[in-house]
Amino acid sequence: MTFLNKLLVGTVAVCVLAYGYHSLSESEIDFNTQVKPILNKKCMACHGGVKKAGGFSLLFEEEAFGKTKSGKPAIIPGDAAHSEFILRLTHPDPEKFMPKKGEPLSKEEIETLTKWIDQGAKWGKHWAYQAVEKPAVPSNSWWKFWQNSWANNDIDHFVAEKLKEQQLSHSQEADKATLLRRVTLDLTGLTPTEKQYKAFLNNPASNAYETVVDSLLKSPAFGEKWASMWLDLARYADSKGYEKDDIRNAWRYRDWVIKAFNQNMPYDQFITEQLAGDLLPNPTENQLIATGFHRNTTNNDEGGTDDEEFRVAAVLDRVSTNWVAFNSTTFACVQCHSHPYDPFKHEEFYKYMAFFNNTRDEDVMDESAHLRFFNETDQKKLDEVAQWVKTSVSETKSKEIVHFLRTVEPRIYAHNFDSFQKGTSEPSSYMGMQNGGTCRLKNAPTINKSRMLISYVTAQVGGSIEIRTDSLNGPKLAVVKLDTAQGRNFWNGLTLLKWVNLPNFSTRKDLHFIFRNPKLATETQDVCLVNWVMFLEDDFPGKGKEGYETQFKHFNELLLTRTENIPILLENPADLKRTTRVFERGSMFSPTTAVEPDVPHSLHPFPKNAPRNRLGLAQWITAKENPLTARTLVNRVWEQLFGTGLVETLEDMGSQGFAPTHQALLDYLSYRFMDDMKWQIKPLLKEIVLSATYRQDSHVTDELLEKDPANRYLARGPRVRLTGEQVRDQALVVSNLLSRKMYGRPVMPYQPQGVWQVVYSGSKWNQSVGEDAYRRAIYTYIRRSSPYPSMLTFDGSTRDVCLARRIRTNTPLQALVTLNDSAFVDMAQHFARRMQHEGGKTVASQLQKGYEWMTGHALPKPKQEVFEKLYQEAFIRFQKNPKKREDWMCNSTAESAALAFVANTMLNMDEFITKE
Amino acid sequence: MKLQNELQLESALLETRRHFLKQCTSGLGMMALGTMFGSCGNGSTKKQLVANPLDVKIPHFAAKAKSVIFLHMCGSPSQLELWDYKPELAKLDGKPCPPSFLEGKKFAFIRGVPDMLGSVGVFKQHGQSGAWMSDYFTYLPQMADEISFLKAMYTDQFNHAPAQLFMHTGSARLGRPSMGSWVTYGLGSENANLPGFVVLTSGGKAPDAGKSVWGNGFLPSVYQGVQCRSEGDPVLFLSDPNGLDRDLRKKAIDALTAVNQQQYEEFKDPETLARIAQYEMAFKMQVSVPEVMDISKEPTYIHQLYGTQPGQSSFANNCLLARKLVEKGVRFVQLYDWGWDTHGDGKGTSLEFGLRDKINQIDQSITALLLDLKQRGMLDETLVVWGTEFGRTPMQENRNGKKMPFKGRDHHTDAFTCWMAGGGVKRGFSMGESDELGYFGIKDRTHIHDLQATILHQLGFDHEQLTYEFQGRNFRLTDTAGKVIRNVIA
Repeated sequence: MTFLNKLLVGTVAVCVLAYGYHSLSESEIDFNTQVKPILNKKCMACHGGVKKAGGFSLLFEEEAFGKTKSGKPAIIPGDAAHSEFILRLTHPDPEKFMPKKGEPLSKEEIETLTKWIDQGAKWGKHWAYQAVEKPAVPSNSWWKFWQNSWANNDIDHFVAEKLKEQQLSHSQEADKATLLRRVTLDLTGLTPTEKQYKAFLNNPASNAYETVVDSLLKSPAFGEKWASMWLDLARYADSKGYEKDDIRNAWRYRDWVIKAFNQNMPYDQFITEQLAGDLLPNPTENQLIATGFHRNTTNNDEGGTDDEEFRVAAVLDRVSTNWVAFNSTTFACVQCHSHPYDPFKHEEFYKYMAFFNNTRDEDVMDESAHLRFFNETDQKKLDEVAQWVKTSVSETKSKEIVHFLRTVEPRIYAHNFDSFQKGTSEPSSYMGMQNGGTCRLKNAPTINKSRMLISYVTAQVGGSIEIRTDSLNGPKLAVVKLDTAQGRNFWNGLTLLKWVNLPNFSTRKDLHFIFRNPKLATETQDVCLVNWVMFLEDDFPGKGKEGYETQFKHFNELLLTRTENIPILLENPADLKRTTRVFERGSMFSPTTAVEPDVPHSLHPFPKNAPRNRLGLAQWITAKENPLTARTLVNRVWEQLFGTGLVETLEDMGSQGFAPTHQALLDYLSYRFMDDMKWQIKPLLKEIVLSATYRQDSHVTDELLEKDPANRYLARGPRVRLTGEQVRDQALVVSNLLSRKMYGRPVMPYQPQGVWQVVYSGSKWNQSVGEDAYRRAIYTYIRRSSPYPSMLTFDGSTRDVCLARRIRTNTPLQALVTLNDSAFVDMAQHFARRMQHEGGKTVASQLQKGYEWMTGHALPKPKQEVFEKLYQEAFIRFQKNPKKREDWMCNSTAESAALAFVANTMLNMDEFITKE
Repeated sequence: MKLQNELQLESALLETRRHFLKQCTSGLGMMALGTMFGSCGNGSTKKQLVANPLDVKIPHFAAKAKSVIFLHMCGSPSQLELWDYKPELAKLDGKPCPPSFLEGKKFAFIRGVPDMLGSVGVFKQHGQSGAWMSDYFTYLPQMADEISFLKAMYTDQFNHAPAQLFMHTGSARLGRPSMGSWVTYGLGSENANLPGFVVLTSGGKAPDAGKSVWGNGFLPSVYQGVQCRSEGDPVLFLSDPNGLDRDLRKKAIDALTAVNQQQYEEFKDPETLARIAQYEMAFKMQVSVPEVMDISKEPTYIHQLYGTQPGQSSFANNCLLARKLVEKGVRFVQLYDWGWDTHGDGKGTSLEFGLRDKINQIDQSITALLLDLKQRGMLDETLVVWGTEFGRTPMQENRNGKKMPFKGRDHHTDAFTCWMAGGGVKRGFSMGESDELGYFGIKDRTHIHDLQATILHQLGFDHEQLTYEFQGRNFRLTDTAGKVIRNVIA
């Protein structure tokens, strides 16, 4: 071949290649954005995770290309003309035509699928299931050059690129007052105080805004605002749910969340402590409290309920909540069948559930397992016992004893007994046994146990329990003479305890309990009520050492003493481990194959060497390879600030969720969140609120409204109605009533009479007095069966189940709350008094001042006229009618009453209910 | 006035719109879209904006019933004392329950082997239809020929709270929307000045499952049931604060409208227009709700008919209110009456005393409700449902294996009775049979989901198509089950 020939061939080859590349790149069909939506919409109902009609499913790659019932594959990559999948879409025989039900595919859709197969039918993984990679910041254009004057940080370049695509342009920066109110509401949930407005508006420094942001991030109010978001996900409430809906002492968990946000706890640690705090080495009190996250599930105390049914319900809820809260994935549907649209198989739900199915809690009335809190005297006693064991035995033993006294587990509750004669296991997890009554604990965990502890109550003298192994006539293990006590019962947390010695059996034993008390007056009287039993390997340590008797006595007293308890997660010891089975069609009544803990195979592998328990699971969730965890958090944070997430469906990033508007930006922030920011939320927030995107004005034009009504492309700043919490809290700020007291028991601010009418419960709404009536909304008592009405009206959660997104509504009932709720009327009156005291002598100046406190702006003339006129109308009426004046506002003058009336109106202004 | 025009055109709720848009794949979504865009003709910029989520919508097909009044007896009265006549059971009274009834069965309170318990009621047939009713009733037998009985109802749940949730949300767990919310979501509200879904309670307590039985679940909160009360504010926060006159309040609303309009002109945010509209509607509701909730102006003969006393909190008053609300265009009125859990552990919960007292509280007023609706020509388009969460055992309860002081029955899932009247169901009809002892349904059994499907059907909905996409799945009231009970439809 001559040189020339070579050159020619080479050139042609390059041309062909170039051409080929060009045409391909122009029309290569993308599986995720072009093919998958068609499959989801038109095919998957019959050929997906639920049904696999004709043995054909489009959910997994191997299924889609595998053989169908006919023995042949339906899709032949590269050959659409011979792919049954395509032929059926236009088949003349109505029997063979697809889809069988529903709308036929359009010509364009068929073309897309045909092209996709001809191009080789490249399968794609849904964007959200691919690991996060750091995208390049869009930069290489004249656009950036022009934009430089606008952009504050990289976020803006991503936004600008999309704006350009949409032929939109950004808005100006919002004025200083508006911006301060926006960022203060966003970071602390409160509206700025007069002092904050002054300081910022009078600070000409170029970094004034950044300084404010830094100080807001440091404010204790920061944690109170961001905890609200988390508590919706954590379904936190102060009651148990269902019929009795009794109080649940869970507020320490709520406080833990607030503190975690304030301390800027890295999000991976935040997740780990909540999921598996109890499994960390030597868990601290706080790490145990954190596990309250998954003890916020509902508990059913109703008489006659099956505890196991509701235990399982709680575990199922934990699985679904985990996926929604941490991974924006809808997993609940996998409980009954494989995911219809996303790559999760039915049995994977139960493998995942196996991580959670091994905790001590069993839907019992006292909500154990829990962490006990001692009063001061008892705490001293505990410290003393701990110190003694530490010096007399070892530090390890001391820690074990403290952990035991703070949890008193593993209890085996009465509902685990069977074969009852003359006695029953009550629905409320204790058993009542008559004289001669017997029952059995089958397969008791007796191996190497030296002691058994029995928790019971009785007021009848002369009772005993005989315990035999193997059968009612088997070898006698012990006879326990029962002590008696008045006024002790399961409800006041005060029971009696008996120790029984065990001979360190080498096998599990059936234990038979025989109850006797010949002195009982009637046959139906109970010898005693037994709550639970427990098997322990060791005695209280240090026998024979000096001081043993005293400390053992203290130990026993501490076991019995009444404590305040918070529900926590505690893992079962090995001999109480539960087997997890796949439930056929999701029903716990149809258990099938046993499974071991695992994560879905379509995602990244379980970390090597990680334990197959909740702690290992936490490692898997917080691994950088997890494609969903960081994206989920970044998306939530974005939604809190902008009103809509980068993926609008916060609850679902799967293929049925909405596509992201700015995927590159989401990935960029997610990557940086894990990498540069080390999972810390405060730097993430700072980066976003410093962006020019966030700082834009929220005015909208007709053109913008036409092109982007929902502001998905961010050509303007967010303008969003405030949350129920914010609506209350900011009104407390302007009326100068807000208590800054943090933490502690939930409070009961004003609530109308008769809202709480719950069955079988003496719980009452006892209105808080003093500053507790004016605490931030996050401290308001949340009763599931009867949530705080005004919060519910403003789209608050009932906290029954995990809520990923509050859907904002706009209703007349909301207007009635802020106009008429006594809590708001009270605030209006204090607001008016404040205007009178601090706002100068004239009504005009007072209104000016009030409006400034509310918005940071001077009151515009037209609005001033409206309010002054309203004031006059009210003033004349109240002057004429002192009785009505006093009814409206005690100890008022016509001036203060009229001003309070205007204040009440002002608190309802759209611009106040809204973040602008 | 420009603003007024815009309001009519837009009344915009962007968030809600996007929510509706997500429903495009389902039938309802298409309809919602139709009504949303259908009325927008004026100016291209307004096309994107939406109607109020409570605007009237058209169901899937022509409806037989315009509204539903659901009378729920919380606690579950015994079908064996009231409707389900079982002479064979009387013969076994006091004899131990056959073991075949107990094998593999779980009860809430019965332990060991209980005794059978014959009915305390004395049964007679009534009307041309020959409907069985017991002597517990004095008034209702006259309406026998209006009623369609479902005598082989069954459920999955034998505890009150989960069973009530099951009946009203289609799921025994917390977190799903209630029937009334689904209906309001599907139909909107006919009367803009009243809520579309009203709840009335009596008996001194809320239902066991709490306010979740009228909750919106994952639907937007505009669809939640609004509890109207006989004591205190008829709707929470409805009354103006003390000392404020109506005309003064009106001035405040006008001031707000003026100020918010200025805000709208500056920001052009359609939400602001929606807010202006909501405040004006709130002001109207302050008049219309107390008006409809005030029964004192009803004529004497009406009070005599229902046995009502104004100012009282009673089931009778709630029946009359239900009629008034339906008359004003409310789509779904839900009554809950508490106190029907007749275990026999006390006189008040006994079949021989407590249950008679409870029937005496509802007998006359339910009869009056049916009569009144009929006389007004409203019964044909109002579906009245009488129901409860489950049934009672043919056995005497023996709580914890012990003898009870009074006659009483435990919770039972396998056979119980509900009935419907009006709203396009058959008149004087009975469907379903339980066995000789009233223990299992043996013919034409109907499940809770079937009843729900039927109620939706009468309102013009295909229960499989009335869906809402949440967490990637289309949810519906009837979960994955439910068949319309065709047999009972006229």
